[in-house]
Amino acid sequence: MSVSGPAIFTDRPMPVAKRASLPARMWKQRADYLYVLPAIVVMLIVIAYPVYYTIELSFFKTPASLQLRDKVFIGLDNYTTILTSGSFWKVTWQTLIWTFFSTLFAFFLGLGAALSLHREFVGRGVLRAILLIPWVVSAVAASYVWKWLYHSDFGAIGAFMVQVGLTDEPINFIDNTSTALASLIVVNVWKEFSFAMIMLMAGLQTVPEQLLRAAKVDGANAWQRFWHVTFPHLAGVSTVTVLLLTVQNFNSFIIPFIMTGGGPAGSSDIWITQIYQLAFGRQRWGAAAAYSVLLFIIMMTLGYFYVRALTRGDDKRAGA
Amino acid sequence: MTNMQDRVRRSGSPYRRQVVAYALAGLTTASLMSTTVYAQSVDLSQWSPEYIKSIAGTATYDTAADCGAVVPNDYAGKVSYWYTGPFEADPQIAHDQDKAFWEAFKVAYPNIQTDVQSITYNELLDKFRTALLGNAAPMVVRLQILGGVEFAAKGYLNPLKPEDVGYTTGDFWPGALKSVTWEGETYGIPTNNETMGFIWNAKIFADAGLDPESPPKTWDDVVTYSKTIHDKLGIAGYGLVAKQNAGNTPFRFMPQLWAYGGGALDETSAEPAYETVELNNDGSKAALQAAYDMYVRDQSVPTSALTNTQAENQAPFIAGQLAMMIAHPAEYAKMLDLASKATGADKATADAVVENMRYGLLPEGPARRAVVFGGSNIHVVKPEYVDGGAIDEQAVKALICMWTSPEWSTKLSWVGSNPGHLGGFKTEWMKERLDTIKFLDVTTSMLPNGIPFPVQPYAPEIMNIIVPDMLQNALTGTMSVEDAANDAAAKVEELMSGM
Repeated sequence: MSVSGPAIFTDRPMPVAKRASLPARMWKQRADYLYVLPAIVVMLIVIAYPVYYTIELSFFKTPASLQLRDKVFIGLDNYTTILTSGSFWKVTWQTLIWTFFSTLFAFFLGLGAALSLHREFVGRGVLRAILLIPWVVSAVAASYVWKWLYHSDFGAIGAFMVQVGLTDEPINFIDNTSTALASLIVVNVWKEFSFAMIMLMAGLQTVPEQLLRAAKVDGANAWQRFWHVTFPHLAGVSTVTVLLLTVQNFNSFIIPFIMTGGGPAGSSDIWITQIYQLAFGRQRWGAAAAYSVLLFIIMMTLGYFYVRALTRGDDKRAGA
Repeated sequence: MTNMQDRVRRSGSPYRRQVVAYALAGLTTASLMSTTVYAQSVDLSQWSPEYIKSIAGTATYDTAADCGAVVPNDYAGKVSYWYTGPFEADPQIAHDQDKAFWEAFKVAYPNIQTDVQSITYNELLDKFRTALLGNAAPMVVRLQILGGVEFAAKGYLNPLKPEDVGYTTGDFWPGALKSVTWEGETYGIPTNNETMGFIWNAKIFADAGLDPESPPKTWDDVVTYSKTIHDKLGIAGYGLVAKQNAGNTPFRFMPQLWAYGGGALDETSAEPAYETVELNNDGSKAALQAAYDMYVRDQSVPTSALTNTQAENQAPFIAGQLAMMIAHPAEYAKMLDLASKATGADKATADAVVENMRYGLLPEGPARRAVVFGGSNIHVVKPEYVDGGAIDEQAVKALICMWTSPEWSTKLSWVGSNPGHLGGFKTEWMKERLDTIKFLDVTTSMLPNGIPFPVQPYAPEIMNIIVPDMLQNALTGTMSVEDAANDAAAKVEELMSGM
């Protein structure tokens, strides 16, 4: 079959309008730039400059007897000193343990709570409100309450365990180098599992009810419905939640600082408490800055994956 | 915790104290002939609870007039000032005295404007450091006794000595003045000084078969008493405090360390050079061993000592579950307050504890009886770091003269401390304090035993970080006593070498 008539497409290239130069385009869109200028200026002042200054400071030594402006340039010595010190690797290991287990348990506890609360039952609203309490309570107040609950001599938990015959003596939770970090992780998980719960409850709203019903009709049991229908729909929000929890835990300060101060004997020290101690306890601003830069690099890496997770699919949608 | 909690120093064997006393007597004579506002007024060689009581109320002062001789009362100007004033937890009398001071200052100097900020004890140093970096500091600041030397060493402070505001050097404790001296120059004036006392529960002592009216004489006795109490009654004996990164820890452990003949540096000597590290000498190790014996071997102190500050000792003490601790005279008021809030059976227990509360001198050791010489000092900031780039020298002097006067240095340290100006001990207000604050005479009589922390910019790191770390390393078994002491000494040496 042949088609006759005027040709619609030709090999001749379409005339392309010459692209304006960058300054010209900026000038054309000057109103837009003016609108965002205040925000950019504020960000430069409160974010970019401190980041720049911290990086700069990390190349200097700041002896306790000198003003900060008299700091001594030492190149990468702060980084070398930190990375070659035994305490750095001990604290890094503790930070990884703290971050990994806090994130893991908070996520799965939050997932369990979200799945439970997703179903209709009497008192669901009340239970949801109760489970939100840890997230709402101030971390400082929670730390003091838990410190007393854990108290090695007069703690309620220890007294209860003795009373019900689980132990002969109160357990030494936070005054023991073997149990201090684990005890703090429990508090941290208690404090932040509600956050995971909220995120995942939102994610559960996106699971199509028809799919679940269809799976049920097809004979899928509860686990199969969860694994093959619900969980794939939660993948995106789960990634974001885990990344946010990881970032939050890497930066966690209040609970370890208030409950143990990093002790006993440094057994609950993590990066942030170390940085604080270096800066404000020992006035090693340069070393603390170097530590902070390392932490910043890790955070930026996690931030990159966070943004990737948030924008996943945007390109496809844009191209569709 | 009161805002007087974390303070510092002075040294002295009895012989040295005598020498100091004779020297001060000489200074007294000299100062009598001087043109300063007040003359040297007390005899430190006689310092005892009886002497303190005997001189109280024997002198009167007209502060406004006396300071008017330094800065005319009609002077017009402005002064900015940061300090740790009374906060919510402080008793009403502290608030009243603070308010009365500012009213009195306004009456004495009606034309001087004041820009005053009261900042909590834990925040003041950090806020002041930050303000200095931004050239936004106040003209005058009052800091804990250990705080000033750091800023003097860094060149932030103007020289300031008692003579600048009409007093004499002899009007203040030598140890207190030492704490504001950096490389031979004086950079501040003491506002208040205090030492802690040893507190015990007489009923617990009696129940454990100990003499209820006698505190342990030596630190070895503390170890023995603590074990006896724990073994017989099943409660904690001594309120050991060993929290990491906490100023409370050195304030309670260093007296023990000094008593055994130890030291951080050579701060216990008459003329410390702060060049030799003594954290691993035999005395220091003996003190650390005594702490280890109580915590690990006898388990006679609170298990929670590793995370405790003194604040955490208060609840078990008022509940009759702790027999001995080291604290300020204000601890008695705190116990009264806690008892007043108790209810039911707890109330009866708390009242009994207050009734049986006793204060005594800190125990002796093989080398000496010692306590941390605490307090605060007032300083003047260099103009280039002050908000506005200038200081009003006359207004600054007027404020400092008033604040450090015998009258106000007594009134403003009403509850938890003592006047920085020795003349304050002779005032009627000191007599009133002695009459109304139980055990004040006992804790005050510890002042001659006070040893200042090393007057070095890195002293806070030694005291707040390295010493508590040493204790924790030993008490947790992370290191042996020997290794913990050597590790701490090595850290101090590294610090001093500038690494």
